[in-house]
Amino acid sequence: MSGAPTPFSKVLVANRGEIAVRVIQAAREAGLSCVAVFSDSDRTSLHVEMADESVFLEGDTLESTYLNGSAIIEAARSSGADAIHPGYGFLSERADFANAVESSGIRWIGPSSHAIETMGDKISARSLMIESGVPVIPGDQVPMEEGADHLGALASAAAKVGYPLLIKASAGGGGKGMRAVSLPKNLRSEFEAAAREASTAFGDGTVYIERLLKRARHVEIQVLCDSHGGAIHLNERDCSLQRRYQKVIEEAPSPAVTSTIREAMGEAAVKAAKSVGYVGAGTVEFLLASNGEFYFLEMNTRIQVEHPVTEMTTGIDLVQKQFEVAAGLPLGILQQDVRQNGHSIEARVYAEDPSRGFLPSIGDLAVWETPSGPGIRVDSGVRQGDSVTIDFDPMLAKLIVHAPDRKSAIRRLDNALSSFVVLGVRTNIDFLRNSLSHDSFQSGEIDTDFLDSTDPSDLRGEEPDKSMLVAIAASAQRLGMDRGQAVGTEPSDDHTGHLGDPFRTLGRTFP
Amino acid sequence: MDWSFPDQEERYRASLQESDGKVLVSSLTRDGAEVPLPEISVESDGKKGMATVNVGGYSKKAHIARSGDTWWVHIDGRAHEIIFHEQGSQSTSKEGSLKAPMPGTVLQVMIKEGQRVREGQHLMTLEAMKMEHKILAPSPGEIAKIHFSEGERVDMGSSLVEIED
Repeated sequence: MSGAPTPFSKVLVANRGEIAVRVIQAAREAGLSCVAVFSDSDRTSLHVEMADESVFLEGDTLESTYLNGSAIIEAARSSGADAIHPGYGFLSERADFANAVESSGIRWIGPSSHAIETMGDKISARSLMIESGVPVIPGDQVPMEEGADHLGALASAAAKVGYPLLIKASAGGGGKGMRAVSLPKNLRSEFEAAAREASTAFGDGTVYIERLLKRARHVEIQVLCDSHGGAIHLNERDCSLQRRYQKVIEEAPSPAVTSTIREAMGEAAVKAAKSVGYVGAGTVEFLLASNGEFYFLEMNTRIQVEHPVTEMTTGIDLVQKQFEVAAGLPLGILQQDVRQNGHSIEARVYAEDPSRGFLPSIGDLAVWETPSGPGIRVDSGVRQGDSVTIDFDPMLAKLIVHAPDRKSAIRRLDNALSSFVVLGVRTNIDFLRNSLSHDSFQSGEIDTDFLDSTDPSDLRGEEPDKSMLVAIAASAQRLGMDRGQAVGTEPSDDHTGHLGDPFRTLGRTFP
Repeated sequence: MDWSFPDQEERYRASLQESDGKVLVSSLTRDGAEVPLPEISVESDGKKGMATVNVGGYSKKAHIARSGDTWWVHIDGRAHEIIFHEQGSQSTSKEGSLKAPMPGTVLQVMIKEGQRVREGQHLMTLEAMKMEHKILAPSPGEIAKIHFSEGERVDMGSSLVEIED
């Protein structure tokens, strides 16, 4: 935060998990103090430990805690925070919350409520994009409220759009409240499920439908805009490796994007951002068809889960930029200065069980050892000993690698995944490794249907050597390796689970 | 004492010898039949949860942890679960009962007791981590018993529905 004085000094992070940790780290680097909020099940979570102070949010449900706007504004007031960073998910794309924050005299680190509202409502976003000359997905816009009396309207709209189609939560994201319908007879049940999921996840059950484009790639553009009219894009991210519309692996640059497409898509994204007077970091998502044509999907008016791959390849810290822009500083970067350095890939490590249809898994993280080394970054909100419950999103960590080119980035990621040790909770780490090694991913020729249409046996690794595993487990039991206390070991830090690390120890007493 | 792998029937048994803080695996059986095995020995590294596994002249590092009856082993870049069974213990799974594949809340019950269902029919919807999961009939039959109603929380492995032929 060089240059101008910052009009805020203490940031409340209205989130949890890895993004809360990420924002707290960035805030500290910017010289800001941070306030965490936490619900009962997060009392001992990493983000609370890292913050300078924390405020307890009372209640058993998300609605009464992380989605409780007035409690969070009250927490900011009582702790003297003069800015709120919403992270992603939760309240990050609630225009009314952004509004309430600003009108309480607290700086909102995000775009205006007008921008959130316009882009957040996928229907109004579509019309605005059509007006602004940004290409949109072929289909029909059908606003629908939750409730059985709208089924008739839904059916006739569906007939117009044609099958297969996609029902999407108007307020949605992350695959929640989204359903594909290939046959008319499934329309009603899928609609009801989508509306229900949307109400639970976003507090808004409104859904709309659009044509489901097959064999397209998901490519998105990161934009960055200041409050002085400066607007640039930071190239694309390819998030085509998805499972049921949930991103699994993201990379930059996209293997399918040429410099011509990049330039055109970047321009369209900046146009989209400018059309709502966007300020801050945002993402404009496109579907890229195999013929090189692209269509506006939606704009995410927040920091994205996959933002690190852009940071790795452009060298720009996006969360830091969010603070600077919110403080009224100009971007200080011109479009022609944006670099594209090497290749970066992010893999999302989920607590889920690929052998049981990716159902969420729970348990205690008995061992949690993250990989490290040149070009390896781990963004995570958990540590060894933490419990994984069904209360929150199952994403445990993001593993991000950076290397000179795509091939070496894939090798680096696979190697890092192989030394990512998670015991006690089933994860998708093997599945990630198997996906990476699939010919289609290696050659960069995947589309958003890849994971859902690939035979699961193609994504299963080699059969393990079971005899050896039994031999190891039986021996470990005989050696009493379950008794916890090991012989002659370094003391483990009660809070972090890390072994006595000189830097950590120094950090506590350093002047 | 027997060992098995998740969702797999076969039972393993190992004979061990201990010497100098090292455990040697002298023989291994699968469902009673001897399995050929290279020479394997395991020793604890003294560091919590770390062991050295010597297999046929090579040594490898393994991370090991236990939760309940499950032993977790991370070796060669992958994590595995091996389940311990006390001697004589029998599988408790009842014929035709459908277990919760995850902990969560019952969102919908689409069937009634006594109703006939076909294979793949949608019986229940569970919700966890804000996502919905359908419980489908694994085989055709008659619903003998429904153990949970809408809104109830279920633990992983609880019997949800019993289906009779």
